Amino acid sequence: MIQSLLEPIIMSTLAEATEATGKTFWMPEAASSVAGQIDWILEFINVICYVFLFLVTAVLVWFAVKYRRKPGEHAINDEGPTHGLALELTWTLIPTGLVVAIFWVGMVGYIDLRESPEDSYEVSVTGQQWFWTFNHPQYGVIQSNELHVPLNRPVRLIMGSTDVLHSLFVPAFRVKQDLVPGRYSTLWFKAIKAGSYQLYCTEYCGKDHSKMLATVHVLPEDEFQETMGKFAREYEDLPDNDLPVYALTRLYNRCSSCHSLDGTNSTGPTFKGLWDRVQNGDTVFTDGTTLKDYMGDGGEYEVPENYIRESILNPGKLIRENYANVMPNNFASQLKPRQVEALVLMMKNLDKLTDEGWVGEDGKVQTPEQPAVDSSASAGPGMTEEGG
Amino acid sequence: MTTFEANPEQPRLVEDNYLNHTRGLWSWLFTLDHKRIGVMYLIAVLSAFFVAGVLALLVRTQLLTPGGTIMNQQEYNQAFTLHGGIMVFLVIIPSIPAALGNFVLPIMLGAKDVAFPRLNLMSFWLWIIGALFFVGALVTGGLDTGWTFYTPYSVDSRPEVGSMGGVIPAVTGAFILGFASIFTGMNFIVTIHRLRPPGMTWFRMPLFLWGIYATAILQVIATPVLGITLALLAVERAFGIGIFDPTLGGDPVLYQHFFWFYSHPAVYIMILPGMAIISDLIAVHSHRHIFGYRFIAYSSIAIALFSFLVWGHHMFTSGQSALVNVIFSAITFSVAIPSAIKVFNWLATMYKGSISWNTPMLYAMGFIFIFTIGGLTGLHLGTLATDVHLHDTYFVVAHFHYVMMGSALIAMIGGLHHWWPKITGRMYNENWGRLGFALVFIGFNVTFFSQFMLGSQGMPRRYATYPEDAGFQIYHIFSTAGSYILAIGFFVTAGYLAQSIFGGRRAPANPWGGRSLEWQCSSPPPYNNFSEPPTVGDCYDFSVLEWKSEEEGYVWRSDVARPEEESPAGA
Repeated sequence: MIQSLLEPIIMSTLAEATEATGKTFWMPEAASSVAGQIDWILEFINVICYVFLFLVTAVLVWFAVKYRRKPGEHAINDEGPTHGLALELTWTLIPTGLVVAIFWVGMVGYIDLRESPEDSYEVSVTGQQWFWTFNHPQYGVIQSNELHVPLNRPVRLIMGSTDVLHSLFVPAFRVKQDLVPGRYSTLWFKAIKAGSYQLYCTEYCGKDHSKMLATVHVLPEDEFQETMGKFAREYEDLPDNDLPVYALTRLYNRCSSCHSLDGTNSTGPTFKGLWDRVQNGDTVFTDGTTLKDYMGDGGEYEVPENYIRESILNPGKLIRENYANVMPNNFASQLKPRQVEALVLMMKNLDKLTDEGWVGEDGKVQTPEQPAVDSSASAGPGMTEEGG
Repeated sequence: MTTFEANPEQPRLVEDNYLNHTRGLWSWLFTLDHKRIGVMYLIAVLSAFFVAGVLALLVRTQLLTPGGTIMNQQEYNQAFTLHGGIMVFLVIIPSIPAALGNFVLPIMLGAKDVAFPRLNLMSFWLWIIGALFFVGALVTGGLDTGWTFYTPYSVDSRPEVGSMGGVIPAVTGAFILGFASIFTGMNFIVTIHRLRPPGMTWFRMPLFLWGIYATAILQVIATPVLGITLALLAVERAFGIGIFDPTLGGDPVLYQHFFWFYSHPAVYIMILPGMAIISDLIAVHSHRHIFGYRFIAYSSIAIALFSFLVWGHHMFTSGQSALVNVIFSAITFSVAIPSAIKVFNWLATMYKGSISWNTPMLYAMGFIFIFTIGGLTGLHLGTLATDVHLHDTYFVVAHFHYVMMGSALIAMIGGLHHWWPKITGRMYNENWGRLGFALVFIGFNVTFFSQFMLGSQGMPRRYATYPEDAGFQIYHIFSTAGSYILAIGFFVTAGYLAQSIFGGRRAPANPWGGRSLEWQCSSPPPYNNFSEPPTVGDCYDFSVLEWKSEEEGYVWRSDVARPEEESPAGA
């Protein structure tokens, strides 16, 4: 009854509520096709809440003041009614009708949220402690902690986790879905406003849960195609000289939740001074050996760059003292050989690099620590990733 | 020895009471007296509340700035985990039934004790042992899983990326605390069935007893599921049997089903006793017969039954099928109705009353306001389309603090003030009481209302740090400031209550004009409560009482017959 009365009104309002809007008192900026509808439902519930909260509070205060027993008085005013069936039925049936209406609009909105359009652009998402990987199979592009998507085209995420539960949440799109290890889950959205939006992990996933952030960049179709094309060949086309800067700006964010650039050791060892330590061979492993043991003539790491390469692609082989074997071992499938080369070059030249480019003249002898590196390092992997 | 004080017409100080009946630490630790067990539970629960409160202040302080202030990630994760675990398992679940309920329930029934006094003492000692296991969890490596122990994180014991070493001690502690809760519930069910006095039919029971009865059903039926779940979790972590761990073929979402099958009813284990207290507080301090007795009583039972069928609403984004989510959403809304009925009946009870603005009544009125917000915001979360956005954000944090802290614990503190004269035999200072209430009420709302906006704007839960440019900080500053006001409020409350024990005026048998049986024995009650089972009439008919100024309390009107002489047809 109530459904049939409310439905036409609700549906016509919902149809109109698909405009992108700015931040309101309750909700953040709305940038997806479903956001307007969800905000409408939220405000619909809010109105009911305001009315009831006002009524309850007003009656409460009114009775409390009107029937106040003054200090020193001890009256027993046991006169009013003690029950009333009509009243009980009224305040049972009206809320019942309202919650049925709320349930109904919530369900309708939810079904829209769950059923992705058939022509969606698909992205594979991997959640891992504590970073996101976004794979665009159509372009052969793998991104980390940054996701570029086309404007006004439905995007479907097929999501999995390699370790514990995670949850992908983009407030501006009003979408959220858990990533469960051992199965895929999906989520879809259609971004209707170009811009950059924060993506959070909202299922507690351990130590650095609150650092498991990413940015969604919504680009107009032509710009999106152009960017994907650029990403797909950027490391192939780059001159060798630009590779380390490319690694620092485009690859390092995959390492940043565990490996710092400023000397602080967290889950993994810092990258600062790494190359010096490797060359000296004084790195000690959990089995008591040192890097020197592997480095002499004919040794496994006679060429020290091989140690860095091996540590990226097969990180469990030698574990540094005081650290645990926790680095994901799937980078071989995520990195092309030239990207590994870029990372090795980045680590070798870390003290001469900033996000903008080389510091000083190329190829000069190692200069002492450059302040510019430190400041850019702390800005680089922070909360706001640089846009692509 | 027994100076029975069933006749408030001739009040006098009873020298022998439960506090001085026997002496020495031993006589307390191994007492079978429900009143002493209740007092010990009260002290234990309030101590745990203090610890969890300090942790809450640390959490709030950390979040003052986006990068965090006083803790690193792992310390923060431990702080919120312990805050949640202690508050749920050690404080809120036992607070009203085991502490206040233990003290009041048998006296309300005119009984000498609960049906199984030894089981009651065992329940208390199991609580102590459970609490020690929680301490053990800290000593053996810390606990950072969140109070929900979600798999597979909680079964992942790898260093750095897995959970910390205290999981097995902590779940063992929660397992043991579950038995403490089951024993209390069983005891109360049997006591209410078997030990009601002549004349007290089911529908003449004070509503407090109806609420405690509904709670006890949940404790007995739901808690074993938690026990089994936590036992499986411990075995999974220790031996890798492959029930929850996906790398061994297990299903981590299955854990969530098991966990919430208990933990949703557990929400009502927390709030039903709070509602039960409020029903009695409103009636007694308004000096008005409760409105809609049967509706309030039945709504408690309805809430208890519905609460078993709604656990899936904690998992709308966890990967359940859309159909299952729709069904759980629909059933969830059914719980809203009995809760709303209670609120309306409480308001109707105040109509034409004589409403005292004393501390217990202020807490009761504060409860109605806070619970209304807590209940109404449940609508946003039961609604599928909006829950997807709000799930696992601070909106949820605010919602459940409005219900569990602002409602369940506020009711507990209201009840503590209501029965404080009965428990200690002393009156606290009413003006300090009102000040304490004002600080708690304002502090609570400032702390948690700002979290609704924080959550709907997108701030996720369990974050040690947050982005600078998301606009979250201003809400966090409000919330943290509120938490400090709240803390001051609790310190003021603790101060004047402690002072009253040593310097408070002696309490009369019936300071508020209550009609249920606990107001008919002296304050504090004698060891045996009543020498013979009293008979009862309508426990909400206050017209038989009058104020006696020499006594500074209420006594039976001289011109009205005592219930013993009432005809039994008065129901």
